[in-house]
Amino acid sequence: MNDTPAVFLIDDDQAVRDAVGLLLQTSGLAVETFASAAGFLESGAAQQPGCLVLDVRMPGMSGLDLQKKLREQGCRIPIIFMTGHGDVPMAIRAMKAGAFDFIEKPFQGQTLLARVHEALALDARERRRQGRREEVAARMALLSPREREVLERVAAGQYNKVIAAELGISLSTVEIHRKRVMEKLRAESLSDLIRMLALLNDEG
Amino acid sequence: MSGSKNVMTQNSAPSPPAATPRLDAVDRPAVFRPGRLRYWLVYPATISLLYVLGGLLWLLVANPLLSAWLHDAPPSPLSRQWPNVLAIIASGGLLHWLLKIHDKPAYRDLEARVRERTDELLASNRTLEQQIAARIQVEYALRDSEERFRQLAEHIREVFWVYGIGEERLLYVSPAYEEVWERPIQGLYDRPLDWIEAVHPDDRPRVQVARLAMLGRGYLDEEYRIVRPDGAIRWIWDRGFPIHDEAGYVYRIAGLTEDITARRLAEDRLRRQQVELARMSRLSLAVELASNLAHELNQPLAAIVAYTQACLTLLRQDHADPRELTGTLDEIVNQGLRAGGIIRHLRELVRKHPAAQAALDLNSLIEAVIHYAQLELRQAGVTLKLELAEALPPVLADDIQTQLAVLYLIRNAIEAMPETGDGPRELTLRTAPLDADRILATVRDTGSGFGAETVERLFEPFFSTKPGGMGLGLAVSRSIIESQGGQLWATANPDRGASFHFTLPIHNNPQCSAARS
Repeated sequence: MNDTPAVFLIDDDQAVRDAVGLLLQTSGLAVETFASAAGFLESGAAQQPGCLVLDVRMPGMSGLDLQKKLREQGCRIPIIFMTGHGDVPMAIRAMKAGAFDFIEKPFQGQTLLARVHEALALDARERRRQGRREEVAARMALLSPREREVLERVAAGQYNKVIAAELGISLSTVEIHRKRVMEKLRAESLSDLIRMLALLNDEG
Repeated sequence: MSGSKNVMTQNSAPSPPAATPRLDAVDRPAVFRPGRLRYWLVYPATISLLYVLGGLLWLLVANPLLSAWLHDAPPSPLSRQWPNVLAIIASGGLLHWLLKIHDKPAYRDLEARVRERTDELLASNRTLEQQIAARIQVEYALRDSEERFRQLAEHIREVFWVYGIGEERLLYVSPAYEEVWERPIQGLYDRPLDWIEAVHPDDRPRVQVARLAMLGRGYLDEEYRIVRPDGAIRWIWDRGFPIHDEAGYVYRIAGLTEDITARRLAEDRLRRQQVELARMSRLSLAVELASNLAHELNQPLAAIVAYTQACLTLLRQDHADPRELTGTLDEIVNQGLRAGGIIRHLRELVRKHPAAQAALDLNSLIEAVIHYAQLELRQAGVTLKLELAEALPPVLADDIQTQLAVLYLIRNAIEAMPETGDGPRELTLRTAPLDADRILATVRDTGSGFGAETVERLFEPFFSTKPGGMGLGLAVSRSIIESQGGQLWATANPDRGASFHFTLPIHNNPQCSAARS
């Protein structure tokens, strides 16, 4: 897997593909072009970091179809749609389905570049978040059932005394559990712990 | 007659004349009046009394005077006179008897003649009565028909008129003239051509020619405008029919003149609507073409802009390879030419458009439309079924217009099957030869269909059952198909949904068929 973020450009029109590809390349971006949505799906590029620049109107699988398919696969790569004149209803559908943005052909190179950079930043942020989430989830798996119970109550803002009474254990046992939770999750403070939980909950 | 007139006016049905009994009572004794004296003369008792009076006169006056004059002697006493008296009476009776015998045939003859005359008179009286009754009947009938005619002529909104050829003037004009023309009828009697002065100047020469022709042939059928005194313009339909005399010559012309303004306005409205529809169909064609053009042009334009900006970026980076730039600039030129080509193609389409009827393969036309509409079809999630007949003869039609009609029918079918509905969503396109001259195409959907009351209005412009629908698609489609000599209609499917069918004429060019064989 290539970790350098790339712009995946999909357009059935060879001239557009070439021109926009060249524009993005000259701006220092890694570009991969595809003549059809199916070709993009087959390449497995959807799992790589980057963003999609996608023509909405294509023969075979359209831009909207590809968007739907990617969402079904749980792929959250940002999509910038390129629309033609009079494709506004389609653009609205795309936005409702979670597109990052759409730009109308012909477009200013600066506009496209700005949106592409934003999309790449979003993707990087998302991917970092995702990485962190996976890390937290892995640490969380180390917790024993009792420690998990204590964690839930700590996160809910309960005092140690209350937790001890509820779980029918001594106050010192609660303190030991709490310390081990902090160690296992590598949390430095209570607020750190809460952030980790929020990150996990965010995914669901 | 005045009494019976009252009866008539009270009851519309004519009552039998009351004159008959009165004629009997008054006139029958009058028949006997001339013979009354003779009747009394021949009456036997009167005659006998005259005999007795005569006898007495003889006895008391004549006999004494006669005997005195003859004998110069005093008359014999009355007692001795009775045989004479008896003789006188007897001779009187005898005389009367003789008279009576003598007079009897004459009397009978008189009686017979009286009876005969009476019968004659009664018969002639009866004839007369019948004639009078008949006359009265005729008069009633006439009066009735005149009344009916008068009611008709004076109450219908049409102007009824009669023109006398010999008289060279209008003999009758019904009062509706004043309502239609808003000119007094009297003016028409004073100046027979008064009505023509009201005819719209543009129509007047034509009307005058038609009027002259009417005087010759007796027929008139002309529509023209008149200008009322207040300046309002009314449409008039004027018709005349000849009335022939016994010799077969036209001597009168009866005419009916109608104010057809309302009808004309409705016709105008309909015509305007058709023109509007044709305009809308051209407009929607233009919109369709423009939208197509815009999309097509966007591709090279987007490429040109992107290439140029890539070049600019490279140039600003100061390490641009001139060869790389040359290649990109070549691409820009190519894309500019491509855009020009698109516009040229469109211009050709538009220019050849008005008379673009040509031999077309309906199947490939439908496939082209499907290609164009595939995005809409896919987005709607509709299953497309093609049942296109093989070796379909070419139709004679306008390519673009027919494509538009098919596109509208497909869109209509898609919209009839909303995603929210249940059941299968299938769009079937079918072509087949209908007969030797026509090809039948069907666009079938499995949507909600339409009700019996809707089917009448489906093709009306601006009628739509869809929220936000303009109600033009089907109207425009029908207008297109009909302008090419075809028909477009809708039927409800037995199971669900609706089918829209249209026909197009088969192209029967001998050259074409020769080329094909």
